[in-house]
Amino acid sequence: MTKKQKFDRLLNGMDLETAKLFRPILMHFAARFSQKTYREFASDYRVLVECNIKAMEYFDTDLVGLISDPYRETSAFGAKVSFPDEAVPKCEEIIVKSLEDAKALKNPDLYKEERTRDRIEGAKYFAKRLKGDIPVIGWIEGPLAEACDLAGVGEMLMQMMIDPDFANILMDKCVVTAKEFARLQILEGCDIIGMGDAICSQIDIGTYDAFVKERQKEIIDYVHECGGKVKLHICGDISHLLASIKDLGMDILDLDWQVDMDIAHDVIGPDVIRCGNIDPVLIQNSSSEQLEIMTGETIKKEMGRKHIISGGCEITVNTPIENLMAIRKSSN
Amino acid sequence: MSEILEKIAYCVEFGKINQQSPYPPDMKGQLGADELTKEALDTGLAPEDILKKGLVIGMERIGIKFRENKVFVPQVLMSAKAMSTAIEHLKPFFQSGDVKRSGIFIIGTVAGDLHDIGKNLVSMMVEGNGWEVVDLGTDVSADKFVNAIKDNPGSHVGLSALLTTTMINMEHILKEVKAASPETRVLIGGAPVSEDFKNKIGADFYSPDPQGAVEYLNSLVA
Ligand code: B12
Repeated sequence: MTKKQKFDRLLNGMDLETAKLFRPILMHFAARFSQKTYREFASDYRVLVECNIKAMEYFDTDLVGLISDPYRETSAFGAKVSFPDEAVPKCEEIIVKSLEDAKALKNPDLYKEERTRDRIEGAKYFAKRLKGDIPVIGWIEGPLAEACDLAGVGEMLMQMMIDPDFANILMDKCVVTAKEFARLQILEGCDIIGMGDAICSQIDIGTYDAFVKERQKEIIDYVHECGGKVKLHICGDISHLLASIKDLGMDILDLDWQVDMDIAHDVIGPDVIRCGNIDPVLIQNSSSEQLEIMTGETIKKEMGRKHIISGGCEITVNTPIENLMAIRKSSN
Repeated sequence: MSEILEKIAYCVEFGKINQQSPYPPDMKGQLGADELTKEALDTGLAPEDILKKGLVIGMERIGIKFRENKVFVPQVLMSAKAMSTAIEHLKPFFQSGDVKRSGIFIIGTVAGDLHDIGKNLVSMMVEGNGWEVVDLGTDVSADKFVNAIKDNPGSHVGLSALLTTTMINMEHILKEVKAASPETRVLIGGAPVSEDFKNKIGADFYSPDPQGAVEYLNSLVA
């Protein structure tokens, strides 16, 4: 059975007692594992794909992904992004500073802009290398995350309170680009689209419902129309948002370590695959024996439910190789 | 507490910046921290009282609600904005020495780290509690911290880090700061940081939230 078939069976609620899928979020760790710098990983799709494949083969992960940093779309919208050797790319400027800027912002041609094209090329290259046997997760920024990248986090969070017009105009443009970016990645072979909207963990449910929920749902519905599945990623504690998130219709929901997996299962329901949720700091700092115990506990709890074993968020670059391996081994 | 000081505290607690601001919706059209602070000064209230019995009380209340997860980041940012708008009216009195700030607090997110929401909240909360704050921004090197201390003798320092890869930079910055200025107290915080880590690197104080930083700083000048 290919990993793709294994994933499809999970989607359909099959083999829940016997097969355990493993998908740690690997970025800087994958780059280091292949002796590549983060700069190379984030700026050249071939490096990103090869690093992912090497880590997938070594750690026997069941899915691979195109995630690298939050600034692909931001760069396409026109912001300057720099690439430190061993750190996440840095956005050097805020390009939306006023309502006029928000109104004037143009949705970019994602094939023309270097950073978005690089990810689309990555989707194509994955398809070529893996021949459809392994599920590939593309990546887009969620509407609030992207608006924060364009306008600055603090400013954007306040604009939702003071100037809803600004917030709505900007986020609507982010939705247009998110949908288009998702469509192009699916077109080139991605099976799943990951949507990262981490900042949502920091807002209250009222603000989430007023500004974010319907927009995320619109993107999710659109990805489904394009034939893809959706993995929603909001790291941090989203316990207070679950009651709203349950209406979004995502196929996979990433859950960070602060969220109680049982409660999430009860609120979200059995149809959604929950992915998580060992604390990445513990994955880095514990012994492999401790990790075997933690993994065992998670798996016992999740037996019979739709679940993918993973860290709560990205595996940190300094995580010892044997620690990640311990999770894989004890989840078999 | 006089009625107007309570009103100022209320505006800060609920993020009512000025009359024009539509937030919070149930205070639409009412005077905000901005106008009320000006009015309080005009009626002859002591600037120090406006700060300590109005603005600071509002910030304290929102700090506690945030600690208890009753409000989230946007609400705290609105409170901080209301507070900083009001503080503009008090600045001349700080400069003239009529209002004494509790001290100077230098804060920054450590080298390699760009997360600044938590750092900003700490910065605003400390400022709102009567301290002068020098915010060095994100990705701040040891040199920058040391220079800022030289420029602001007697100040204390706060280091913020959100990544396990950057929290280790705290140790180096701490060493440099202590070498240049042994009496400077160094406070650390950020999601991955803990009391254990504080003890390991020998920092003076750790708090999981801004309110803790405020309480510690205030204890230094009590
Ligand atoms: C928003 C966010 C971002 C935004 C940051 C925007 C900004 N301008 O800050 C963006 C999208 C840019 C981002 C980027 C990245 N992020 Co990020 N991000 C987050 C997120 C969702 C929230 C962080 C936050 O602001 N929390 C809210 C504030 C209020 O909390 P706080 O910072 O902890 O501060 C509080 C206390 O700690 C304390 N405090 C803070 N500082 C201080 C200082 C002192 C002196 C004191 C006393 C107290 C104190 O008071 C604050 C208020 O209570 C977290 C997940 C999470 N929920 O923790 C991940 C998270 C921090 N990010 C993470 C990662 C991995 C990254 C990236 C590497 C991802 C990537 N590959 O692209 C990059 C790194 C970029 C860089 N070089 O820094 C990981 C870090 C893992 C780790 N521990 O190493 C986290 C924890 C997600 C996860 N679960 O894995 N991120």
